[in-house]
Amino acid sequence: MADLVLEHVTKNFGGLRAVGDVSFTVRSGSIFGLIGPNGAGKTTVFNLVTGVYKHDSGSIHFGGRDVRPLAPAKIAEAGIARTFQNIRLFAQLTVLENLLVACELQKRAHLAAALLRTKVHYEDERTMHARAMELLSVFDLADVADEPSTSLPYGNQRRLEIARAMMLKPKLLLLDEPAAGMNYGEAEGLKTQIRWLRDTFELTVVLVEHNMQVVMGVCEEIHVLDHGETIAHGTPEAVQNDPKVLAAYLGGDEPDDDAPPAIAKEADRAG
Amino acid sequence: MASGKAPSEAGAGNIDTARPPASAARKWAFGVGALVVVTVLDFTLERLVPDSSIRQLLLLAACNVLVALSLNVINGMAGQFSIGHAGFLGLGGYTSAIVSAHLHEALGGGEPTFARSFVVVPVALLASALIAGAFGYIVGLPSLRLKGDYLAIVTLGFAEIVRLLIATAQLGEKQTVGAAFAEVGGAKGVVGPFFHALSVAITSLGGQNGYAGPKNQGVPLYAGPFWVFGLALVLGILAYRLKFSGWGRALRALREDEIAAAAVGVDPTRYKVRSFVIAAVGAGIAGGLMAMNRDGTPTVQPDNYNFAASFDAITMVILGGSGSVTGAAIGGVFITFTIKAIEAVQSTNVVQSLKRSAAWLDLNALRMILYAGVLIALMIWRPEGLLGERELFQKKRTPPGPRPPSGGTPAAASPAPVEDG
Repeated sequence: MADLVLEHVTKNFGGLRAVGDVSFTVRSGSIFGLIGPNGAGKTTVFNLVTGVYKHDSGSIHFGGRDVRPLAPAKIAEAGIARTFQNIRLFAQLTVLENLLVACELQKRAHLAAALLRTKVHYEDERTMHARAMELLSVFDLADVADEPSTSLPYGNQRRLEIARAMMLKPKLLLLDEPAAGMNYGEAEGLKTQIRWLRDTFELTVVLVEHNMQVVMGVCEEIHVLDHGETIAHGTPEAVQNDPKVLAAYLGGDEPDDDAPPAIAKEADRAG
Repeated sequence: MASGKAPSEAGAGNIDTARPPASAARKWAFGVGALVVVTVLDFTLERLVPDSSIRQLLLLAACNVLVALSLNVINGMAGQFSIGHAGFLGLGGYTSAIVSAHLHEALGGGEPTFARSFVVVPVALLASALIAGAFGYIVGLPSLRLKGDYLAIVTLGFAEIVRLLIATAQLGEKQTVGAAFAEVGGAKGVVGPFFHALSVAITSLGGQNGYAGPKNQGVPLYAGPFWVFGLALVLGILAYRLKFSGWGRALRALREDEIAAAAVGVDPTRYKVRSFVIAAVGAGIAGGLMAMNRDGTPTVQPDNYNFAASFDAITMVILGGSGSVTGAAIGGVFITFTIKAIEAVQSTNVVQSLKRSAAWLDLNALRMILYAGVLIALMIWRPEGLLGERELFQKKRTPPGPRPPSGGTPAAASPAPVEDG
């Protein structure tokens, strides 16, 4: 099974410990939440899993395979796709072209075939093109397929990034704050889309998100980081009542039991 | 949905997704027509254009189109700044000169004939392409693994090393770099003799005076309009296809965002190194054609491949529009004629008498001043170049058609997302 297993992962940037001794397992097929206050090391974990950074100690295995020696492109080939917190689209390329870049790995035709315009090249282009258009219509972007990607509104750019990641036919999808900048209705839509993606493509999803409406509504298991260290782990219900989590988010060591915590309140509204 | 087998006609964009049925016949007609035209030109250009300096200019323009096209692959499409294109031109030029001169001797010498050019030119250009490509790999692999401006520094150094190694080799074996290596390495072993042989070989290239065949009888000028115009056309089409293939898309994506490109499986180092090798191969072919240019000089000289030549190549790409294939071609032609026009201005009576009256005035600098003026004007009014990244004959983007069948599930499962704004 394609589980993602982190064991005692540590990453230092100079004297700063961005991730310290973090261990968790994302079971294949689950929707997993990675949360924590700003600077908790969530995105660093994503960067370690996708090979952008290399961890100093510990191990990261995906489907039993050590990802540390792999370059980012090889990790993508192994079935890990991601989106970025600060959207990284290919600005000069159209919406459709953004998706088509992501299918270079699946092509049978190589450079020579493209230069000679062989039959395989045309078949490849047609297949990829059809797949891209299907994904775009799933994400409601088919109408803007030929627009420059950066001309889209913010929320659509986020959805385009997810669509691009899905072009890789990944087994594991890492979403870095997909709901950032989305309003209540859009976030509700995102929840349904994440579940739909998981069910349709038998995907594992890991979510870094500050929007508790999304996190609590869609995740089956949640891991909470603060200052690079694990402070809680469990179901959404368990995590949002954990005093350490409340302290990390709200400040103070002794959370006031009388005041309803903001996290729970948001989750109630979402649920 | 996941199978992706349903063909879709929607949103064709500027990607060739289907081979139109009628186009095969048209392509053949175009190919045969072009072949006839370049063949006829090969025999009639002397009569059509009696002035040999203009003929030379036309052939040179086509060669420069190749220079710009090849540099455009790495500088324009992949966005990696190489400023040592002349080094690869030089490797290609010297290789073709050596191969064609020896082959010409082996074939019995005499006048270069059209029939014989089908033996000499392909072999010489293949050798040039291989040598330039191999050096492209050697130079590109270490420098393209790093981000930033390393490629610019390394390519600049490489081009100067190629030029100076050849130019200074006339001082005699004792004083060449190779001989120095041989002394350091000692007479024994493999290293010493290897560098010694290398130094002898480099010295035989004639140093600053240039190479003119093994017996100094001149490089046989086999590359007539057939080869020069024909190859410019063929390689131009290949460059266009490269741009509008998945490969070209990957290169452009890489230029936009390396991290995101890697995250979707486009290995940055691999794509950059390969495109650099492609650029080097193109430069090797262009350099070879220049060396064998029918109306050119029968010698190849190291000064043909100095920094100014690299700079001219960059100007062609930037002027035409970085990343645009047709733009690079236009840039190549334009710069060739601009340089010639400036030379013509320099030889006018006014300028010449000015030169006589004021010897301290370095009029060779005039070219650089005019040239710089053109570039500065361009950067002010059109920083993206004449065409930007567009193409001259780019297909009109077809408006996105009806949506493909969504297979039932997606539309039903995903709720209508609320649009922004």
